[in-house]
Amino acid sequence: MLATISASVLAGITGHPVSVEVHVSSGLPTFTVVGLPDTACREARDRVRAALLSSGVDWPPGRITVNLAPSGIRKEGPGLDLAIAMGVLVADGRLPAEDLVGMAFLAELGLDGRLRAVPGVLPQVRCLDAAEVVVAPESAAEAALARGPAVRAPVSLGELVSVLRGEESWPEPPSPESADPTAKILDLADVKGQHIARLGLEVAAAGGHHLLMIGPPGAGKTMLARRLPGLLPPLDEPTAIEATMVHSAAGLDLPSSGLICRAPWQAPHHSASMIALVGGGSRALRPGAVSCAHGGVLFLDEMGEFAPQALDALRQPLEEGVIRVNRATAVASFPARFLLVGAMNPCPCGELGQPGMCRCTPLARLRYARRLSGPLLDRFDLRIHVGRPEVSDLFDSPSGESSAEVRVRVEQARAAAVERGVVCNSELPDDALDKFAPLDPKARNLFSQAIAEGRLTARGFQRVRRVALTLADLSGHQPPLSGGIVAQALFMRTEPVTVAHDPWSVAHACR
Amino acid sequence: MPVGDTPWAETLAEQEGRLPVEAWLVALASLPAVGPARLRALLAARRPFAVWAALRGRPSPELMRVAGKQDLYEQWRRTAANLDVARLWARHREHGVGVAALGTPGYLSALSCDTDPPAVVFHRGDPHVVRGPRVAVVGTRRCTRYGSDVAFELGRDLASAGVGVVSGLALGIDAAAHAGALEAGAAPPIAVVGNGLDKPYPERNRALWRAVADKGVLLGEAPLGAPPERWRFPARNRIIAALADVLVVVESHASGGSMHTVAEAAARERPVLAVPGPVRSSASDGCIDLLADGCAPCRDVGDVLLALGMSGAQAAAVDSRSCPDCVGQQVLDALGWQPADAEQIKGRTGLAVAEVARAVEELRVAGWVAVSGRWIERVGITR
Repeated sequence: MLATISASVLAGITGHPVSVEVHVSSGLPTFTVVGLPDTACREARDRVRAALLSSGVDWPPGRITVNLAPSGIRKEGPGLDLAIAMGVLVADGRLPAEDLVGMAFLAELGLDGRLRAVPGVLPQVRCLDAAEVVVAPESAAEAALARGPAVRAPVSLGELVSVLRGEESWPEPPSPESADPTAKILDLADVKGQHIARLGLEVAAAGGHHLLMIGPPGAGKTMLARRLPGLLPPLDEPTAIEATMVHSAAGLDLPSSGLICRAPWQAPHHSASMIALVGGGSRALRPGAVSCAHGGVLFLDEMGEFAPQALDALRQPLEEGVIRVNRATAVASFPARFLLVGAMNPCPCGELGQPGMCRCTPLARLRYARRLSGPLLDRFDLRIHVGRPEVSDLFDSPSGESSAEVRVRVEQARAAAVERGVVCNSELPDDALDKFAPLDPKARNLFSQAIAEGRLTARGFQRVRRVALTLADLSGHQPPLSGGIVAQALFMRTEPVTVAHDPWSVAHACR
Repeated sequence: MPVGDTPWAETLAEQEGRLPVEAWLVALASLPAVGPARLRALLAARRPFAVWAALRGRPSPELMRVAGKQDLYEQWRRTAANLDVARLWARHREHGVGVAALGTPGYLSALSCDTDPPAVVFHRGDPHVVRGPRVAVVGTRRCTRYGSDVAFELGRDLASAGVGVVSGLALGIDAAAHAGALEAGAAPPIAVVGNGLDKPYPERNRALWRAVADKGVLLGEAPLGAPPERWRFPARNRIIAALADVLVVVESHASGGSMHTVAEAAARERPVLAVPGPVRSSASDGCIDLLADGCAPCRDVGDVLLALGMSGAQAAAVDSRSCPDCVGQQVLDALGWQPADAEQIKGRTGLAVAEVARAVEELRVAGWVAVSGRWIERVGITR
């Protein structure tokens, strides 16, 4: 007899519907799975058999063939276990096929018959055309986000069979806990001193400007960066869904509500490969750290230590907010709109003291400066130097503003950006700048001088202008941008690595 | 040495007639690991051509003693067997590099009476600019903005006063001193370098190297193609000391090339002046040590001119910078003459951090402060 069960598989972060066809006939007892299954999928045979036997169902004594249609795409992971088990039951005549019409199944089976969660439930449920979907209890909240089929979450295969036979009713889905106690927001009030860095974080959060922090080890760059997600407003609904899909497909933990509403935080180690950063992989296309940071913050500590090609691969997502991964067998496109925060030392020795104390030769400094490519460096609108806090700051100074107070200003600035038709100022197109960020004569003068000195490129000019607009929004200044605001913005875009002052080239640049 | 025993004797003898003595000196100087001491030892008993012919002839215990090591001597003999002296000589002419041997009329008179004169001097540019009073301005490559500014100022003011500025064309202080001398456009700069004159070193100073060759002179004792090997720099420093009437150390770490130049100058009884710097700055450690040892301080160009025996009268520089505003003045006062970062300025003035950022940027544009990384330094000179 033949049975056809609906299910789906994950490719990248999108789901593909799959029909699981099971044929049971008389003959020598065999169990084959065809239709491009990978190892985990082929091993379903043993899990399904054990799970059925543990649930008190006899294994059909005959020849069982499972086909996963369409046969052309590769099926990965154990998510088809439950669908195969249901197919075996229907094909063997133990469950009536009519009872399963309009139902889809997405779960891994334990040997004891328990349903287990699989990664990527949200995108997989979204692609299904079904009235009901059966998932593991842990996936119920995530599956409900799809706002599609009714979600059924039985604990075990045995319970599912009893419900389908009409012996029991569907169990209540587990109610999501309203508050997530584990996700504590790190507060900016814990930071003592560091006024320039605090201002940098505020401007980055308000305007969506990428931030590079340069400072000696122990200055608190990581501690500061960790507080940036707490300054960002909650994610809007489309971004939250996208972020949840990416996290789900990457197998990362989701909050108990299922939906990621707070800005995510990703901090890959500097040994990360290009694939780990931007996504990909030889078989399954997995989203990388840039996509997992979608809507939130991507923090790269020790930026100078990352592989240069890994860093340069960030340029496309930084410009377009999306990363397309092409492989011979598959193409995937992952969302990747994130706020990039980098941290690095000012020179190889870390420059612990004042000028004149650094023991690095000019050549060593120059080499260190070249680790970040010019185009990538140009995309950091904010480059600030962070020093170690003074001892008096650590003990005596009152704590600074809390994240909540700063977030009020951030939200005001973002509201001003929304009036201009963008989410934040960093997304303003160049031609809109003349309209929204006109310059007063003093500001124009400062810009022309900075460009003449070679400190700013044409793109850098527009970027500093956007930062100045954000600074004006935060402090309540009305356009045109004043010289003072532009001077602030220029000060917050210093050179990351200082190479010895060279009066000869300075004298010639001015001529 | 029976030259006639070997079949190539004819050619070598012919070449001797055709090529000047400098050509053979250049060939000897381009042997591996031949510095001033080995060159002097080689030339102790014979003329340059005779040494060359001996290197190509039978092994000689005398030359072996000069080499010191068997493998180095073998290396010399191999090099001598393969090197075309006429080609090497022609290359020097093509590159416009002049060569003068000690004891010939073209040799720099400033060096010929030195205790340790180079056997051969290469020059690019006009060697006749080496006349009149000369001051060497030297210091560390790892300098601060303060040191670079002082070196530039000294270079500029000394050149304006008609004093030739001698330095090593390295990064940092040396480059700043030469840049200052070129800025004045008066007395031509004199640079003594450690490598061959065909390739600018360090690469970052390429433009400066050209400018010095155009307006002044580049000197060295290394032939074309000689790489900037470590041992060449102490030798270069002794020429700087020999050429200078007065040596000024602008910034130097406690041990460094500049301190070696000081030792060479002291051996020649040249006056040495040191520019005082902050006692906390390791870039000034060498200068502070010199001052503690009784060396005269160099506060401005007047001190140097006095040491030279020239009049110290100088026109006061006019400050053309626009006056800072009220907040800017407050920041300048809080900054003083020591580097500080924005947090420290905020702490001293009590201004909002955004105000500090604005004021510092405006002061930087107006030329009152320099920002290097996190540090903000007050700039004292007008340019």
